[in-house]
Amino acid sequence: MIRLPAVTLLTVLLMPALVVPALAQPSNPAGPAPGNPAGLAPGTRESAPGVPASRQTNVPDRTFTREAAIGGAAEVDLAWLATQKASSRPVQEFAQQMIQDHGGANDRLSALAQADGIRLPAGLDAEHAAMRRQLEQANGTEFDRAYIQGQIIDHQKAAQLLEYEIGSGENAELKNFASDILPVVLRHLRMAQAVAAGLYGAAETSPRPQEQQKQ
Amino acid sequence: MGRRSPPHLHGGCSVLPRAPNSEAVVSKKLTIFLPLAGAAVLAAAALADSLPPDATYRPLPTLPLDVVKANDEAQKPQVMERQRAVLEQRYDLSDHPIPNVMMSGGRKPVQGGVRVKLPAGVSWDSLSSMTPDEIRERGLLPAGFMPLPHVKQATGGQVFPNNQIDEINRQEGRNIRRFDVDFDLPDRFTPEFPPPIFLTSHPELGDVSHGQLLTIKNYYQLMVGILTPVQMEGLRLLLTPFPQEEFNQTEDRKSADQSLGVTCLDCHANFHTNAAFHQTPDVRPQAARFRLDTVSLRGLFNQQIHGSKRSLRSVEDFTQFEQRTAYFNGDHVSAQRKGVNLPDRFDQVPMMAQMQNVIDFPPAPKLDPSGRLDPSKATQQELAGERVFLGKGRCAACHVPQTSFMDNNMHDLKLERFYDIGQTVNALVMLPDGPIKTFTLRGIKDSPPYMHDGRLPTLADTVEFFNLVLGLKLTQDEKDSLVAYMLTL
Repeated sequence: MIRLPAVTLLTVLLMPALVVPALAQPSNPAGPAPGNPAGLAPGTRESAPGVPASRQTNVPDRTFTREAAIGGAAEVDLAWLATQKASSRPVQEFAQQMIQDHGGANDRLSALAQADGIRLPAGLDAEHAAMRRQLEQANGTEFDRAYIQGQIIDHQKAAQLLEYEIGSGENAELKNFASDILPVVLRHLRMAQAVAAGLYGAAETSPRPQEQQKQ
Repeated sequence: MGRRSPPHLHGGCSVLPRAPNSEAVVSKKLTIFLPLAGAAVLAAAALADSLPPDATYRPLPTLPLDVVKANDEAQKPQVMERQRAVLEQRYDLSDHPIPNVMMSGGRKPVQGGVRVKLPAGVSWDSLSSMTPDEIRERGLLPAGFMPLPHVKQATGGQVFPNNQIDEINRQEGRNIRRFDVDFDLPDRFTPEFPPPIFLTSHPELGDVSHGQLLTIKNYYQLMVGILTPVQMEGLRLLLTPFPQEEFNQTEDRKSADQSLGVTCLDCHANFHTNAAFHQTPDVRPQAARFRLDTVSLRGLFNQQIHGSKRSLRSVEDFTQFEQRTAYFNGDHVSAQRKGVNLPDRFDQVPMMAQMQNVIDFPPAPKLDPSGRLDPSKATQQELAGERVFLGKGRCAACHVPQTSFMDNNMHDLKLERFYDIGQTVNALVMLPDGPIKTFTLRGIKDSPPYMHDGRLPTLADTVEFFNLVLGLKLTQDEKDSLVAYMLTL
């Protein structure tokens, strides 16, 4: 089994410039709207009154960056695992898509975090490490279902987190990033839900061989 | 093997493989269920790392008010310019009144024509011949059909039109002007001000407003001898200011002075609406809170559900609750800090409700008692419009004439079939609206802008909107007749 830091590193090394067009294109041509100045951190350098200078962040910016980086890294890591273990083709394809899309997004976020002086955690957080351990033990349809179910939850959370940054953040680059990524994450969520519906729909009509044989 | 829950994918956890129903399953089968149990643990763990608390709760300001105010004031020109650009891109807001059609008070013309701008290369007819998928894939849904952002989405809060601000200042010396934003729509697309007041208890009197805006200063002299003691007390409470998120005494406010607060009728001017807007209390995080255009209280007596999203079952519930959560912010925690009003459920709330429940629709002389056009009074075009309304247009499926042109239900138009969700427009994230309450169409010419968020400036826009959303394929004559018909309501 490939351990996770290696996988994450590999992803970053292999796909530094592979930014998916959908993620790279600014979908917000007017630029991010001003935030509520009441949420500006004291001592923030400003380019204009109430407009934080480039690279200035507030607490939501930093909270968002950290959470999004954790989620994004786990996304790619678990997707690599899924490309090795998933038994159904839709799950395989979904995992490939995650590696492609989130790899690019993660690079962009890492660059922003570095420029903004936000330290990102290395490796998987406890939650996703636990998820990975469970997935490593699962096989066949059980793996597919557990993986895709985790993906639905993670993308639900990611969507809310991105909306949080769009509404509460102050840093223009991070808000732009969130606005660009949100439609993609919502698309992934719909894909994951469709894949899950397929997996469960199949189970409704034909019981899984595994179960029959063990019962 | 345990039953699978159905694949309802919205609920997250509901699609998890469930542990078997039978408690009798013991160690013998444990290995079989291990992967399932693992998935359940995984779900619990996935929910353990939660989203930031201020994605739900209103954060406290981090800077002193004078700094926030200076910053807000400096940003204001840019904020207003951004919103102007959004409106300019979406709508033709020029002055084209419908000849000889005035709102019910007879003082303000009704604007006509389709004002939502079409994307390049399509006509309304060519658009309505495409499938929703095609329109979505080619990005052809007119921008004006999509959710309308608040003028400053990140801050949100109530924004009053200038005529209301000025009149409240003149009569009461109370300040409801914000230092960070102004009202965004041109005056010609808002209701006449002040709107007339019609009472179910006195149809013979007609408009009882004397052409004035009801306030705490003048209500008594205007209404004594017309209302009951209970209604008078309800009216007094509806006109009494209480602290609100943007208008209060704390540092978390957007009025320059320590504001006394706002009143119910600051938005529902004369129990109608002045097009003051806000954000839905019922959605978080902030970027997803859609705009709310103030709804008229006319005909409230026939309305069984209240709140565009919440479907509260009585106006008593609604009245009490909005006082509690600082007027439409859905945050009782923040409201508590700023000073909530907790009207007594037995002695105060019913009086406020009873006052609201005697507010009538404006007269519609061409309608008969069942809400149908009187053929002896209506024009041929109006009658043709009624036939479209009841038939091909499918309007009456929800806007039922005999129940005041509503159905006391919520419906989901599923507009997201026509566009890619998740785009950000002036800091509002475009998301599916979900089910929204059916609003009455009685007196509808008095209530621009239209839809729950005011995204449509004219009645002709609403016809094009529903023509597309419901796939009606109406002819131009049918569309014109529908508008003519709605003007009679």
